[in-house]
Amino acid sequence: MNAPHLQRRQRGALRLAALLAAGVGSLALLGQQADRAAKALPRAGSPGGALTIGAVIALTGNANLYGQDQRLGINLAQQWTKEQLTQRPLNLQLEDGGSDEATAIAAFNLMINRGAVALIGPTLSQQAFAADPIAQRRGVPVVAPSNTAKGIPQIGHFISRVSAQSSVIAPLSLDEALRRDPSIRRVAVFFAQDDAYSTAETAIFQKALAAKGLPPVTVQRTQLADNDFQNPITAALQQRPQLVVISAQAVDGGNLIRQLRELGYKGQIVVGNGLNTPNIYPICQRWCDGILIAQAYSPELNTPVNRRFQQLFRRTSPHQPPSQITAQAFAAYQVLFEAVQRLQARGGLDGVTLRDARKALMDELLAGTYNTPLGPIRFTPEGEVVQEHFYVAEVQMQPGGRKGRFTLVRNNQVSQSPASVSR
Amino acid sequence: MIEPLLQTLLNGVASGGVYALVALGYTLVFSVLGVINFAQGALFSLGGYLTFLLMGGRIGVNGALPGWALPAGLPFWLALLLAALGSGVVSLGVEKLAFAPLRRRGAEPLLYLITSLGAGVALVNLLQILMGAEGYAFPATALANLPAALNLGGARIRSIQVVLLAVCALAVVGLTLWLERSKGGKALRAVAEDASTAKLLGINSDAMVQLAFLLSGALAGLGGGLIGVSVSLAGPYFGIGYGLKGLAVLVLGGLGSVPGAIAGGLLMGLAEALVPSDASGWRDALAFGILFAVLLVRPSGLLGRRLVEKV
Repeated sequence: MNAPHLQRRQRGALRLAALLAAGVGSLALLGQQADRAAKALPRAGSPGGALTIGAVIALTGNANLYGQDQRLGINLAQQWTKEQLTQRPLNLQLEDGGSDEATAIAAFNLMINRGAVALIGPTLSQQAFAADPIAQRRGVPVVAPSNTAKGIPQIGHFISRVSAQSSVIAPLSLDEALRRDPSIRRVAVFFAQDDAYSTAETAIFQKALAAKGLPPVTVQRTQLADNDFQNPITAALQQRPQLVVISAQAVDGGNLIRQLRELGYKGQIVVGNGLNTPNIYPICQRWCDGILIAQAYSPELNTPVNRRFQQLFRRTSPHQPPSQITAQAFAAYQVLFEAVQRLQARGGLDGVTLRDARKALMDELLAGTYNTPLGPIRFTPEGEVVQEHFYVAEVQMQPGGRKGRFTLVRNNQVSQSPASVSR
Repeated sequence: MIEPLLQTLLNGVASGGVYALVALGYTLVFSVLGVINFAQGALFSLGGYLTFLLMGGRIGVNGALPGWALPAGLPFWLALLLAALGSGVVSLGVEKLAFAPLRRRGAEPLLYLITSLGAGVALVNLLQILMGAEGYAFPATALANLPAALNLGGARIRSIQVVLLAVCALAVVGLTLWLERSKGGKALRAVAEDASTAKLLGINSDAMVQLAFLLSGALAGLGGGLIGVSVSLAGPYFGIGYGLKGLAVLVLGGLGSVPGAIAGGLLMGLAEALVPSDASGWRDALAFGILFAVLLVRPSGLLGRRLVEKV
């Protein structure tokens, strides 16, 4: 190879390297400019002074049944905040988190990059395990309205939830089923094995059953996308169960209940939190009747905020009481609103960067106590909710089989120490 | 001992019948054009939604027209038939848009896969826009005169699954008789055998292709409506899973073979029924493992013809 040719090649390589360096430099500069977290927050009364709260909930996919309830709960909370003393307004941005991990991650990233001071969501525990670590790394407070699997607040300091862990609530419905029929000896368990929440909840149910001397006679594993349960149901019915315990989500769980009844099962059915929505009524219809479920919310709780919540709810749905998921979504927005107002009242949000505001908000959130529709709640230092009242409800369907309600059958005052909930 | 076996057999036949129905739709188009219509799963979804709407079902809150419903609902059987017809007509539209232009240009078979896949994705997304992503359940009174389940020799099966199986069997027998005995069926087979020769004999091959699409779309719509009543509509994408399974059945039974589609469907259903619930996560893996094993031994599928290429 001759020398001029070599020089030409060297010059070309140098030009390319310079171009690359310039490109990387420009991108870094742009990135720095786009890093909203480093910018100071506008003052409370100034234009653009409202803080953005990002709500990432399932508006599409299997979990959209919960998402509809959550959207309503957050909207009602927004209406409620308009009646409260506001020092720093909030600006809600709603984003579809889908029903899968990838969509939730994308929505979290989008909201964080748009400068959300805190996030509500995602809808499913399975999604939370994937998306919450992103918020944790970026230092953005997350309040989960419906994640009940073990280990969610333990993802990190910035992750909290208003939805009590399944281990606290789930066994209460078993107690009620056994109180109604103490002769129960044969229990069949169904759970969606590809769902983090369902697998965590079934472990709790099975542990509680074992503690009562009732190890399941059969454990049937299903999947969230399943819709035909002929195989697992007939396998379970061959064991002649007297009680069926289901941990699944609304669509698959609703279908499972319907097919269980159609195939002749007449015993009691206890279901987990995934079926804690009136949206199961159109799925299992008249076959929903009689199922038992433990709940973290009761419309019958007589507190000012719960009465107001129900008044607001009746404007949109006059003929049915609000669901637990709607109430929890309301509570998620409420706790953020109250924490922001307290922080603002102390001047803690003036002249600070978004990054510092997020950190201060998380500390304030964990330090407060809140009177929500769920009853009085607070948080452990880990971000786990501490709640006093839990309930057991029974689904009662109307004769047409398309509408129904969760009827309170038991009110449990649970002594819930921070140590017990953070296990 | 007999009872669990009978139960497994019933379970397998019940799900296998649906797979066979979907595979038959693929078979019709494949036998005439030698290509696979990937929009079949979307047509399956469409059949479910059309049946729901024709029965007076109301569009949910996330749909384009929340709360909208037909002024009066039709009885289930009439709604199912009209939905099948509607899916068949849309399938004709898929043929016009995604297949006919390529056929006229003599395009490579691979291109049909892409255009039909695109048509399927567009159709499913259209369904999502119109109906929303939420699930829909048919009224419990859809089959009001039937008991919820039947007891056959100690094994239990839901009545809707018996209906599903009966309709699948009727569709298969009807289609087979039509293909074997009728003038139209013979013309379709002639086009499938050799389109050029059939044309020379005066058969309108374009019309036969359109007929194949109409019938395959109707079969998909029929399956979608029946599955919708059986297990509800879990969202616009619910047909895609059935479409993929039907595709596997098509290959398993032998491309273009009607008896092969039936045998493949039943085998696939039985294989799934044999998977214990502890290993239900492996159900699809086992089903596709069988497909893989059969294809290793018989690359042309269970009842497919071995293609001999003259050189």
